[in-house]
Amino acid sequence: MAAWWFWPLFLFIFTLVIGIISPVSGVGGGVLYVPLATVLTPFSVDFIRGAGLVMAVTSALSSVPYLLKKGLANIRLYAVIAPIMVITSVIGSIVGLWVSNALPNGKYYVKLLLGIIILLVFFIMITSKRLEFPEVRDEDVDSWSRKLGIVGEWYEPSLDRIVQYKIKNLPIGMAMFGVIGFVAGMFGLGAGWANVPLLNIVMGAPIKVATATSMLIITANAPAIGIYLAKGAILPVVVVPSILGITIGARIGAKVAEIIRPAFVRWLVIGVLFLAGVLNIIKGLEGLGYLPHII
Amino acid sequence: MAEKIEVDPMALAFAKIMTIFTIIGIVLMVAPAILYFMGQNQYIPLSKAMDYWHESTVDFWKDVKGITVHGYDWVFENLQYTDCQSMIGVLLLMMTPLISMLAAAARTPNKTYAILLLVASAEFILSIILKGIF
Repeated sequence: MAAWWFWPLFLFIFTLVIGIISPVSGVGGGVLYVPLATVLTPFSVDFIRGAGLVMAVTSALSSVPYLLKKGLANIRLYAVIAPIMVITSVIGSIVGLWVSNALPNGKYYVKLLLGIIILLVFFIMITSKRLEFPEVRDEDVDSWSRKLGIVGEWYEPSLDRIVQYKIKNLPIGMAMFGVIGFVAGMFGLGAGWANVPLLNIVMGAPIKVATATSMLIITANAPAIGIYLAKGAILPVVVVPSILGITIGARIGAKVAEIIRPAFVRWLVIGVLFLAGVLNIIKGLEGLGYLPHII
Repeated sequence: MAEKIEVDPMALAFAKIMTIFTIIGIVLMVAPAILYFMGQNQYIPLSKAMDYWHESTVDFWKDVKGITVHGYDWVFENLQYTDCQSMIGVLLLMMTPLISMLAAAARTPNKTYAILLLVASAEFILSIILKGIF
């Protein structure tokens, strides 16, 4: 058996690599971390989900101030969505820990569900479009967005001008953010994979605004950290090396992404995500006795 | 040359507070954790934890410390231990969006947004209190 320090060291190197490839591939670090760490490390899925949530929130906290000052993250949209997401992410985390602790074989149900969610993420990633500057006409703007004045602007260097934007379909977006908050809290996943297409395609936010506002919205999942902490599911041995690794890795990755961003890296990472989803499903089914032990 | 954009004052207040508390939270989490990894004052002994960290949280705590964890007592009643000290940093990171929302609510001239941010803050505080009790 390896010494105790092997696994925190492994987590540090593992998250460092995730941090580097995440900006290069455009695939969020949190969504890679939870399913892969569940399969590759001996830690219980409870501890991995707790660390995943702290990691997703800390990454968002580190980048959001800059995005707000640039006008890319929309705080008005956040103010409308946060009251919904705070509640649903807390409910999701309670349900997630209840399933893994109170149900017999609960942790295998969680692995199975996690695998299914990851495959859903995979399909969203390969099928969703990215609209740089979606057109939202005045008549498209819903009455709630209009009354709340949810508009914004930022300076776009590629166009050398200020871009202004409006939002549509706010009531539908709010309902969908409720569901996303539940999933994020239950599985400890950063929810950029769902937030960005929702903001971009359904609500008409430009892709840069959607990506930045998604980071801001992820901070609304922070109360769910308390659920994991109050259940003893956050351990320094898992959380600290993971956060250090992803933080250092993301800084390296951002520099690398400025120089190279080959399409094959994105497809490679999406392929790994697919594999992680399948492995979690297999491990879940093995644990529940529906499959013989093959991995 | 970059043109000047108008940034919402509540966004600026939110960003300023978030920057400060995130840095403090990360330092408070990492510094005691370094001592913990060096073997100083461990509440959860790493050599013992590794035999049980594959178990669900309930079983892990029963086997390592002989307790059932409910709420934040395991952190606040054991602050002499480095691993519990590290959790203060995690708690501060968790509270950072709440503190930022309150700062933004105080800065916005728009009452609707102030109310929305205060509602989210109230939910946040309520969830923390309920978790501490149950």
